[in-house]
Amino acid sequence: MSELNASLVPQLPIVGVDAHEPVARKPTDWRTGSMQGRIRRRYAAERRFRLIGAGAVVLAAAFLAFLLVTMFANGLRGFTRTEVALDIDFPRSTLIVDQTAVQRFGEQGLAGADLQGVVAAAANARLGPGGAALLSDGAWVEVRRAILEDPAILSGVHRFELPAAAAIDVAAKGDGAADAEVQVARLRERGLLSTGFNGQFLTGADATDPTAVGIWGAFKGSLLTMLVTLALAFPIGVLSAVYLEEYAPRNRWTDIIEVSINNLAAVPSIIFGLLGLAIFLNVMNLPRSAPIVGGLTLALMTMPVIVIAGRNAIKAVPPSIRDAALGVGASPVQVVFHHVLPLALPGILTGTIIGMARALGETAPLLMIGMRAFISSPPEGLTQPATVLPVQIFLWSDEVSRGFVEKTSAAIIVLLVFLLAMNGIAIYLRNRFEKRW
Amino acid sequence: MTTQAADAASSTKIVARDVSVFYGAKKAIDAVSIDIDQDHVTAFIGPSGCGKSTFLRSFNRMNDTIPNARVEGSITLDGKDIYSSDMDVVQLRARVGMVFQKPNPFPKSIFENVAYGPRIHGLASGRAELEEVVEKSLRRAGLWEEVKDRLNESGTALSGGQQQRLCIARAIAVDPEVILMDEPASALDPIATARIEELIHELRGRYAIVIVTHNMQQAARVSQRTAFFHLGHLVEYGDTRAIFTNPKQERTKDYITGRYG
Ligand SMILES: Nc1ncnc2c1ncn2[C@@H]1O[C@H](COP(=O)(O)OP(=O)(O)OP(=O)(O)O)[C@@H](O)[C@H]1O
Ligand SMILES: [Mg+2]
Repeated sequence: MSELNASLVPQLPIVGVDAHEPVARKPTDWRTGSMQGRIRRRYAAERRFRLIGAGAVVLAAAFLAFLLVTMFANGLRGFTRTEVALDIDFPRSTLIVDQTAVQRFGEQGLAGADLQGVVAAAANARLGPGGAALLSDGAWVEVRRAILEDPAILSGVHRFELPAAAAIDVAAKGDGAADAEVQVARLRERGLLSTGFNGQFLTGADATDPTAVGIWGAFKGSLLTMLVTLALAFPIGVLSAVYLEEYAPRNRWTDIIEVSINNLAAVPSIIFGLLGLAIFLNVMNLPRSAPIVGGLTLALMTMPVIVIAGRNAIKAVPPSIRDAALGVGASPVQVVFHHVLPLALPGILTGTIIGMARALGETAPLLMIGMRAFISSPPEGLTQPATVLPVQIFLWSDEVSRGFVEKTSAAIIVLLVFLLAMNGIAIYLRNRFEKRW
Repeated sequence: MTTQAADAASSTKIVARDVSVFYGAKKAIDAVSIDIDQDHVTAFIGPSGCGKSTFLRSFNRMNDTIPNARVEGSITLDGKDIYSSDMDVVQLRARVGMVFQKPNPFPKSIFENVAYGPRIHGLASGRAELEEVVEKSLRRAGLWEEVKDRLNESGTALSGGQQQRLCIARAIAVDPEVILMDEPASALDPIATARIEELIHELRGRYAIVIVTHNMQQAARVSQRTAFFHLGHLVEYGDTRAIFTNPKQERTKDYITGRYG
C-alpha cells in the first residue's frame, strides 16, 4: 500500500472545480425595515392559514353535530313503542283451544283459533267501545307468541302489553291528532299506557302499519348487497390496479383504459342502474329486486374508485423497494405480493372505504333494478327480493302516515351505524396493515 | 470438458462483448467489452454520470426494469448468454447479487430483510437454519454486533451506513456467485468502510466481485482489476497496480490524479 501512496494517487483528491476568487460580499443585515416586514408578513401568513384551517374544521364539526343531534332527537323515538295493557280472560273467551294440544303440538294446536277476534273482543270489553281500534293490527300476533311460549296462560286471566295503534302511538309521543290525544289521556288516567322497547323494529321488515314496520329486512338487504359488492369490486379492482401499474405496457390501449376508468368513476350513479337493468335483468335474466343484482350494479360503480385509489397507492411505493426485491431474485409476482401490495394496502383500503360508503348510501341505481318494491319479509338469500336501507328510508319518507316520520329517522340512525361500523372495521384493518417500519 | 478446461473457464466469470446500453435514444454505454474474473475483485471507476451504474446493472438485467432502457451486445455468465430468451431472469438475479448505490432496505424488520432472499429461494429449512443464515450474513457484513439485540426492529430505522451494511448482508444471504456493489461505502464512516473492505477481501475467491467506487484509495486497496470509464466508454482496463502507477491513457492519469472528476 505504501508504494501506492507514493504513486500518482494523491492523499486528498482535489475536486475538479475551478478555484474562483472569493467575491467580496456584504453580510446580510436582517434588521432592515424591509427584512423585518418580510418576517412579519411570513408570520401573519402562517397565522392566517392556521386560522382558516381551524375554522373549516369547526364548521364541518358543527354541521355534523347538528345532523347527529336532530337525527337522534327524532329517531330514538322510533326504537320505542307505546303499549296498552289488556287483560284477556281465556276460559271465558270464545277461544276453543285445548291447552294440552298446544303443549303437545305447538303451532298446530293453535290452528283455526280466532285469536284476532278474541283480542278484539277483549279490547272492546275492557277499553270501551272501539277499543279494538286502539291496538295495532298486529297485536294478536304477540298474544299468539305468548301462548306458544307458555300455554299455561290459557287457563286463566293474563295481562298483555300490546302495541298501540299508530295514531295512539304518535299521540302518546306528543305529536298526534286531537281525537287520538283524548283517547291517550283516557288510557293514561286508567294507567294502561306504557312505553316499551320496540323489538319489532329491529327484527321485522316493511309493513303498511307504521307500528309493525321493522328495519331488519332492509338492513339484511344492505348487508347482502354490500357483501356482493365487496366480493366483486375489491379483488377485481385491486388486481386491475396491480396489472395496470406493474404489468401492462404503456401504450395507446392502456391509455384508453386509464381514461375510461377515470371517466367511469365520474359517471352518475343512475346510469349504472340503467346498465344493471339492461344487462343483469334483461340480458342475463337475473331475478328482479335481488341483492345479487344490486351488488353487481354497485360493484360496477365501486370498482373504478378502487382501481384509481389502488393505482395511486401502488404508484406511491418507492421503486427502490422493487429494485431491492428483484435484486435478491424475487419474481415479479413475489415483488407485488410481498412488498408492493402490503405497502399499498392502507391506500387501497382508504379507497375501498370511500367506494363502499358511497355504494351503501346509493339509492338511484337500485330503484332502477326494482329494489324499491314493498318487501314484507327479510331476504333469505342473494336471489330473494329485498330492499336496502337508503331505499327503505326513501320509501318511508314518502308515506303519508305520521307514524313513519320517526321510523324514517330511526332507519337513518341504523344506516349511520352501519356506515360507522363498516368504516370502523376498514380503519382498524388499515391501521393494522399500516404498521410502518 | 476436462478439469483443466473447466478451471480455465471458471477463472473468467462474466464476458461482455460490445455492450451498448441506451436510455431511449441516449447512449449511456458505448460498445464496452470486458472480462470479469472469478477470483479477483474488479473496480469500476470514472467520473459521475459516465455509466458505471448502468453497466453494472446490465450484469443482472436490472436495466430490464427501466421502461426505455435497451441493451445491445452480449454478456455471458459462465459462458451462457444472460440476455438469451431461455435465461431465467429471476434465477440470474439470485446468482448475481447486487448492492445498490442508495441503501434500500425493505420496510420490514432487520431479520426479515436478511431472511427474505433465503426464504423465497428455499435456501434454509426451518427457523433455526434461517436464523443461522441471518446471523452469518450480518456478521460478514459487520453489522451483527450492532443489531443482534434488535433484530425485530425496522430496517429503515438504522443509520444510513448501517442500512447499507444491511443491504450487503441481504445480498450475501442468498449466497450468489457474483456480487455487484454500487458504491457500497459511499455512506459509511472510515471504520465501517474498513469493515466492508475486509469483507470484500474475505469474499474474494469465493465470489466474483465487481465494485463501483469514487474513492481511488479504496479502488487501489480492494481491487486487483480496475476499469476506468469515461462518457460511456471503457477507457482503460487492467491490473489495478498498473492502472494506478502507470496508466497508459492520459485521461486515466488525469482522473486518478484528480485533475478532473
Ligand atoms: N433511468 C434513466 N433514464 C435515462 N437516463 C439515465 C437513467 N439512468 C441513468 N441515466 C443516464 O445515463 C448516464 C449514466 O448514468 P449512471 O447512473 O450509469 O452513471 P454513474 O457512472 O453511475 O454515475 P454516478 O457515479 O454519479 O453514480 C447518465 O448520463 C444518466 O443521466
Ligand atoms: Mg452510479
